[in-house]
Amino acid sequence: MARLASSEVPVAIALHNVSAGYRGPVLRDIDLEVGNEVVAVVGRSGSGKTTLLRLIAGLIEPTSGTVDLLGVAPAIARRRKRIGFVAQDARLHPWRTVGENVTLPLEVNRSARTNGHVSPEEWVARMGLTEAIDAYPHQLSGGMRQRVALARSLVIDPQVLLMDEPLASLDELTREDLRDELLRLWESRARSVVYVTHDIEEAVLLADRVVVIGGTRPARILGEVRIFLARPRTKRDPRFYDLVQEVREHLE
Amino acid sequence: MTARRTITDLGVALLAIAAIAAALEIWSRALQVPSYLLPAPSAVAARMATDAGLLAREGGITLSEAAAGFVLGTSVAFALATAMAWSRPLERTLFPLAILVKLTPIVAIAPLFTLWFGFGTAPKVAIAALITFFPMLVNSFVGLRSADLQEVAFLQTLGASGREIFRHLRVPSALPYLFSGARISLNLALIGAVIGEWTGADRGLGRVIFVANANLDLTILFGAVLVLAAIGIAANALVGAAERRVLHWHPIAVAT
Repeated sequence: MARLASSEVPVAIALHNVSAGYRGPVLRDIDLEVGNEVVAVVGRSGSGKTTLLRLIAGLIEPTSGTVDLLGVAPAIARRRKRIGFVAQDARLHPWRTVGENVTLPLEVNRSARTNGHVSPEEWVARMGLTEAIDAYPHQLSGGMRQRVALARSLVIDPQVLLMDEPLASLDELTREDLRDELLRLWESRARSVVYVTHDIEEAVLLADRVVVIGGTRPARILGEVRIFLARPRTKRDPRFYDLVQEVREHLE
Repeated sequence: MTARRTITDLGVALLAIAAIAAALEIWSRALQVPSYLLPAPSAVAARMATDAGLLAREGGITLSEAAAGFVLGTSVAFALATAMAWSRPLERTLFPLAILVKLTPIVAIAPLFTLWFGFGTAPKVAIAALITFFPMLVNSFVGLRSADLQEVAFLQTLGASGREIFRHLRVPSALPYLFSGARISLNLALIGAVIGEWTGADRGLGRVIFVANANLDLTILFGAVLVLAAIGIAANALVGAAERRVLHWHPIAVAT
């Protein structure tokens, strides 16, 4: 997979010395740069992984340090519609059909120019949802709903894709399917992806780099592991569990 | 499925009403209860047939007052709930005032409305509006605040404006709450209109009941009460039907 090769912006996401929190501090001294690559962020639950994503998306302000997205402040990147966001167990808009959920991002913030070369229908098809296009979310399985969540985040062709445990609530087989789907997506078009997960094996299967956050609160970056394995990867690769072990050591 | 179910429900309700009426009929005949204490259902039915024109006319007046009050009260409530959902300071200012309105005994201040607005339609509409206001305010407010936070965040990452989030997410999220508010408010609006007529009017079912009470004319009194009940049931059914149509995506609508 191409990495850092066809990048217009060498560093898409840059956090320098960032600390953040809500009532109390959650993250401190975060330094992270993401180019056109997939960076997985792993950590125990409650370690501030979601807070990190919210910081990058500009949904919360850092208490100190700077966050840059595509060379501008996150708020501006949002207004330019450059950010795709996929949450865990997305509830979608229950009053909209699958097709209508996928077109929703095109209906808001219309002034922003989106470079979507792929139509909503095409995304629905790529996600294997064509037959469910008129179904309502409550009629779908969890896996199907996550596919819709993926399709609707990609319909604006975002340069930055933020994913918050998008596969965590799914069963193992559905996860494997969607994992393959994600890999295919990333290979078809280089993007900057920050993929938050508590599943170390999933991180090693998907990412170019795994960043480990944790420690006593406020959490910081404990270490980083580059994953050089060629794709498609498999758990049968003898080096796979070495890398998993390496990530695990940073966590402990 | 729903249509058959509605018919079954209606059948059961009618059967229950018929059973109660039959029991009352037997009771009043067997014990020869005087009609100024409790008229026999057959006498009430006969009176309703004779005075069908009167009941329809006065019922129509009460219905239109209640409807106007309902529209006024719920619209103001929704507008204020929107403002409250928008800003915390406004919520803190308006909510105690709303509770004050809620706690004011409507029956006690109804004569005041007649004093202020005269004997016409206005005081009835005002009372109906006032009584529908609070349940709708609370339901709208809770409903507008019920939007899924993950979905709010999703729209924000797309650069959606507050207005867009309101239109695309908050209002649809509030719909189930708006409907339960409407169901409560609808019945209250009828009660409000009747209370308004009671305290000073020359028209409406409340007036019919008031005069009948003074004259111990119980057949027309019960007739008026039954017409009122029929209006209430019909209005509820209408809201229920609208709810099933609009909220077809909602788990509760799917379950019923």
